[in-house]
Amino acid sequence: MQKPIATTRSASGIPTGRLAIWWLLASEIVIFGGLLACYLLFRLGHPEWADAAAVTNTAIGATNTFVLLTSSFTAVLAHQAAERGDGKKAARFLVFTIIGACLFLGIKSYEWWYEISHGYTITSNGFWSFYYTAAGLHAAHVIAGAIAMGFVAKDAAQGKELQRVELVGIYWHFVDVVWIFLFPLLYIAK
Amino acid sequence: MAQATTAPVQDTHGHDTHGHHDQGWFKKYFWSTDHKMIAKQYLWTSIFMAVVGGLMAYVFRMQLAFPGIEVPGFGLVSPGEYNALITNHGSIMIFWVAMPMLIAAWGNFLIPLMIGADDMVFPRINRLSFQIFLISAILILASLFVQGGGFGGAWTSYPPLSANPEYNLTGLGASIWLIAVALEFVAFLLGGINFIVTLMNSRAPGMKAYDIPVTVWMIVIASILFMLSVGPLIAGAIMLLFDQTLNTGFYDPARGGDPILWQHLFWFFGHPEVYVVLLPAIGFVIDIIATFARKKLFGYKIMVYTAVATAVLSFFVWAHHQFIAGIDPRMANVFTVTTLLISVPIAELLFVIIATLYGGSIKFTTPMLWALSFVATFLIGGVTGIFLGASGSDIYLHDTYFVLAHFHYTFFPIAIIGGFAAFTYWFPKMFGTMLDETLGKIHFWGTVIPFQFIFIPLFALGLGGQHRRIYNFQNFPELASMQPLRVTATLALIVMILFQLVFFWNLFRSLRSKEKAPMNPWKANTLEWTTPSPPPHGNWPPDQMPKVYRGPYEYSVPDRDTDYWPQNEPS
Amino acid sequence: MTEHIDQTAPHDAGEHHDDGHHDVNYAKIYVALLVLLVISILGPELGITWVTLITAFGIALVKATMVINNFMHLKWEKNFIKWALVVSLLFVALFFFGVAPDVMKHDGLRWVNDAAIASVERGIEPPHGEEGEHAAEDGEGEDHAEEGDDTTVEGEGEGATETVAAAFSAPDAYSATCATCHGPNGGGDGPGAAALDPQPASFATTEFWDEVTRESMVNVIQNGGAAEGLSAAMPAWGALYSDDEIQQIVDYVETFQP
Repeated sequence: MQKPIATTRSASGIPTGRLAIWWLLASEIVIFGGLLACYLLFRLGHPEWADAAAVTNTAIGATNTFVLLTSSFTAVLAHQAAERGDGKKAARFLVFTIIGACLFLGIKSYEWWYEISHGYTITSNGFWSFYYTAAGLHAAHVIAGAIAMGFVAKDAAQGKELQRVELVGIYWHFVDVVWIFLFPLLYIAK
Repeated sequence: MAQATTAPVQDTHGHDTHGHHDQGWFKKYFWSTDHKMIAKQYLWTSIFMAVVGGLMAYVFRMQLAFPGIEVPGFGLVSPGEYNALITNHGSIMIFWVAMPMLIAAWGNFLIPLMIGADDMVFPRINRLSFQIFLISAILILASLFVQGGGFGGAWTSYPPLSANPEYNLTGLGASIWLIAVALEFVAFLLGGINFIVTLMNSRAPGMKAYDIPVTVWMIVIASILFMLSVGPLIAGAIMLLFDQTLNTGFYDPARGGDPILWQHLFWFFGHPEVYVVLLPAIGFVIDIIATFARKKLFGYKIMVYTAVATAVLSFFVWAHHQFIAGIDPRMANVFTVTTLLISVPIAELLFVIIATLYGGSIKFTTPMLWALSFVATFLIGGVTGIFLGASGSDIYLHDTYFVLAHFHYTFFPIAIIGGFAAFTYWFPKMFGTMLDETLGKIHFWGTVIPFQFIFIPLFALGLGGQHRRIYNFQNFPELASMQPLRVTATLALIVMILFQLVFFWNLFRSLRSKEKAPMNPWKANTLEWTTPSPPPHGNWPPDQMPKVYRGPYEYSVPDRDTDYWPQNEPS
Repeated sequence: MTEHIDQTAPHDAGEHHDDGHHDVNYAKIYVALLVLLVISILGPELGITWVTLITAFGIALVKATMVINNFMHLKWEKNFIKWALVVSLLFVALFFFGVAPDVMKHDGLRWVNDAAIASVERGIEPPHGEEGEHAAEDGEGEDHAEEGDDTTVEGEGEGATETVAAAFSAPDAYSATCATCHGPNGGGDGPGAAALDPQPASFATTEFWDEVTRESMVNVIQNGGAAEGLSAAMPAWGALYSDDEIQQIVDYVETFQP
């Protein structure tokens, strides 16, 4: 369908799509912020949770952090390519990012399978409840982001809607930033 | 539904297929991306939900007035059913009537028109928002019929009651209720982004910030307020859902959880939420009053700043809902101060409205009657809130019918009076015919007078010590003597419900009328009145999009032959 | 909200940021991020709290800022966006500090949160097996205590992985669910009975047993009093108890028969 005239205007000086993504992120900050604030409230009030947190595998967490950082790097390279009008290259970098997302999810699946099979389930105690909920909510956003990137990559490969590469990239970086905070909270703070 | 055919000019707003004008029923009504059609979808859905919510009130008020007797049309009301009725009445009225009607329906319809745009910036996300909303509405209704019955833990859904199926006995209903509310939040987050970006970016050339009608400001401020306050509750709802279904212990003290955390999460959103619905309603009232007083707003910028101040302050008052829940008394002190403070900007808004009326050339049309009664009724509601905001008096009044009467004296003006004000004012623009004024006035008086007789008795009952959420007061000898007040309230409700038939008759007649409404029946200034009633697809021909030369409230400007001066007229 | 009315070209290809953004060396930023990641892992190994705080959390802040500024281009974005994001964060902080006095602290002015304090003292069972680099030896070492709840009501296990779901006990279920109205000895004289009209059934009378059948009793327990034309004040317990459990409850109620 044709874009409405409304979408092309920019009284604020910021292109419509980008403005929308930033507002989306503002709302996501409050959602994740709320969840992590609750976690902090409990974690600081329950020092005994350190015993539960001791079990999380820092090496796996660090690997996943590395994976996400790398995927952010490829995402911004995709944006750079799109800026220069090279849709095919942008699509390729987006595919790398999606691969990174899948890698992240794969590693996390293994991690969770391992922990669950050793008896650390979401009902084990408060720490684990938050662990699975926070990481799970984050993982849901990773999945959504990967799907969105798939659509954008498909269009970009045909040279269409290149501005969306930046937009999906901004979303993706946010997902990365959330993990940057989840990592110390769930893995390092023991 | 009188949707005019597309504009006579060439169709640049091609539909998905082949640029045809005629769309099948499905594409035109169900799958539309046109903001005006989506607005109507929200409007009809919320009116339907209002009828459902109102009938629920009828049933439980009959039980209260005539306990243990079969309610005509429903049968005997068991305690579990009573709880489900009051829970879902509250939830439906707030989330599926007030919000969609005031924000989604009128926001969708008015924002592009009032700022001179051809649609929202993201029409397909707009359509998706409605679809998610519709699913949430279906879910909440479905939750009433599942095994165990509808959720009965109050719209506030406090754990441990709401978290444990063993306690609430409506495990399935409780989880579906929660998912329905969460989906509604998602729908409004998406919609809110659309509204905010549309206002920020898509204004007509020449429309500066202070040329934007107050209605649009209010709806967008409300959307921002909603977006920034709902996050923690979404997190909390996920936690509650896990407690309900996975047996986690987020809110279980025996396992290191804390039920009071839910209360904080809920009310951190719950209090800003009431301003999310108040601001649009007061926006409609302001615009209607300016039009029918034929007068410039007493303080346009003041109103906008005050609305923003109210929105910000609303984040700092939430724990006044928890004064006797066991929060730290020092917190209660802080929240008393902030709560009393927030009455100031709201009072300010009402004063500016009154000052606008003073010296105006007032026309008592039906929309004006609704707008004026909003001011009077909301004033009473707000003043009674002071007794609840002060923690000392709240100790006695919390959870009594005084609270209930207070919030109905605020919510009713917001949702019902504000809703009818907007409806009667913009009906000609939306549907292309006029509502009958006489029927409108009968409906008006038949609504607001019985309303007083429903809720004033409830203030008395509350002061007399009657607690909320109890299904039969005959079991309490010291309260039983106040039964006549309960019966009065119920009978008044029945009268009010009957008068709504006048509204539906008026609506039905007008929709079928062949008399076309003029482009600007109220002689107002804002841009929506510069396009035909109803507006064509795209609102204006693409090469004739409006340009704005002045603010929206230039009424009765001296030395002009007309007492109004539309925004888009060059001079 | 900035004022200048800018009608950008219909296809807003984000090929330039308004004030010409520099060609950021993304690779350099990426390498810096990796270095910081390594430091943030090694730092806590030292086991000194303030070092951990600075390296783990401080670096997280730095990394996030770098990603936000450089990858998301916030550095070159209009100020309005920065303000909107800051406001979001401030509200999160408001939530945290507004709720902490109640939820994080476990006592205050004339109140004490016994359950939370007990939970802290109970501690968490040390991890089994070899997982965890810092397998905590210094936890309280208590066995993971059963929660104080009575486990008469059979739900999905009480949550801890070690518990065995308690076997169903009809007398306990009766005490927990029925006795409030029907009385501890089935006399229809429980504390909740005073407010009810009609009164709850008394199982200690012959009249009751003359009128009921086993099927009707099971039906009432499962589907509520209204299912047999009795008072709707008797709730439906079918969602809570299985058929077999209800049979056991009826067996138990029969013991009240005079």
